[in-house]
Amino acid sequence: MRLLTTIGKYFVLMSSVFAKPVKLRIFIKRVLEEVEQIGMDSIWIVSIVSIFMGAVLTLQVAINFEAPYIPRYLIGLSARDTMILEFSSTIICLILAGKVGSNIASEIGTMRITEQIDALEIMGINSANYLILPKITAAIISFPVLNLLSIILGIAGGYLVSAATGVVSVYDYIYGLNYLFVPFYVTYSLIKICVFSVIITSVSSFHGYYTFGGALEVGKSSTRAVVYSIILILLFNLILTQLLLT
Amino acid sequence: MIEVRNVNKSFGDKHVLKDINATFKPGNVNMIIGRSGSGKTVLLKSIIGLHVPETGDIFFDGREFIRANMKFKREIRQEIGMVFQGGALFTSQTVEENIMFPLNLFTNWSKAEKLKRVNFCLERVNIQNANHLYPSEISGGMQKRVSIARAISLNPKYLFCDEPNSGLDPQTAILIDRLIKEITIEYDITTIVNTHDMNSVMEAGDSINYIHEGQNWWQGGREDIFNSDNIELNQFVFASELCKKIKKVSG
Repeated sequence: MRLLTTIGKYFVLMSSVFAKPVKLRIFIKRVLEEVEQIGMDSIWIVSIVSIFMGAVLTLQVAINFEAPYIPRYLIGLSARDTMILEFSSTIICLILAGKVGSNIASEIGTMRITEQIDALEIMGINSANYLILPKITAAIISFPVLNLLSIILGIAGGYLVSAATGVVSVYDYIYGLNYLFVPFYVTYSLIKICVFSVIITSVSSFHGYYTFGGALEVGKSSTRAVVYSIILILLFNLILTQLLLT
Repeated sequence: MIEVRNVNKSFGDKHVLKDINATFKPGNVNMIIGRSGSGKTVLLKSIIGLHVPETGDIFFDGREFIRANMKFKREIRQEIGMVFQGGALFTSQTVEENIMFPLNLFTNWSKAEKLKRVNFCLERVNIQNANHLYPSEISGGMQKRVSIARAISLNPKYLFCDEPNSGLDPQTAILIDRLIKEITIEYDITTIVNTHDMNSVMEAGDSINYIHEGQNWWQGGREDIFNSDNIELNQFVFASELCKKIKKVSG
């Protein structure tokens, strides 16, 4: 019953979020600010995680593909497909749920407990639309860019480790990268990250928006936002994979 | 004028507002006073629509508010200025941006016109050279004054103040009270101030509503408060030793 009430509240909030902004110019300005906060500020963490993931992935595959009848170029292929299909969308979003999600929930939660959201409402502003829609829009714009960046850097990480350690020759690695490439995998990855971006921003905003109490509750909302975002990402990862790849 | 008719509000089993009736006139500082937990903040938030009463009506110059659709409510709210207990300034924006915020959203003025209005409002609340400071960089009293400046930036017809003096020293509190009073008279605003500070009542109050256990227990003018024989009101007004002595001396 409580779950149904929460889901109901979520969709009621979303019906307020997806309304026409009061002024388009201000909305665009807000979106650009959020692109900086949600997207640009996440570049460094996405870059570091992707390079190391690509490098470790290549090492592990190389160690496990030691049988002489397995072509070495499959190491490059595995690194490429794993980065595109799973790591650069799902794993990156799980990390972003922690970084961006907790940030959104605590920001909106603090605005709630300090009556800043009430102040917006009293001014005659649709606070949900003003605060949340720019975040969702900014995430939809910036997350796919982060996804592509992650794919490129992950593959580059694998290249660096193969060149540095020689677990696979650079020639084999690059040959594997080009071998049996399925362009739809990139589309699939982009579709997934768009869905995940909406999940992270809307779920985190929801938990922040309905924060009541004090600083302790802001912390709890922030934790809930991350936990529920991660669970929903994993659930939708399964659903989207079933729908798009099988 | 704001009219509150037969308003009831509960939270679960707790009946917080019990059949409240009140009229708040323009050009007056209308005070809602009462002990902590008496229901005065719930009444204020019900009037501005942050709480929805179960029964009753609220009229803003004859316009029904509670059952109005959200679009109409937002139109009425654009005529409302609100000073929150904690100021509720947007912490990510400077003083200037805070006051310009409603102007950006609801006017088509040029940047120069908006800046002129911001400076006028800041001057009106006696703040100079603070345009580019953030709320965290100014004192509590200044935050309250900036909050008042933001509330009057769109020339509101109604001004609501929720405990505007809380956390302020007595001298700053008097300045805020006088400011609210001056603005109310100057712009003929219907002002409602929610407080439990008797100094504020004596400094600025024109009409007083005493809320006790969720009921509008007593209504009257500032002078009437001392002559009332209402036991609960007297217990509230003359709670401090100083007030008891004043009452004794004045007979």
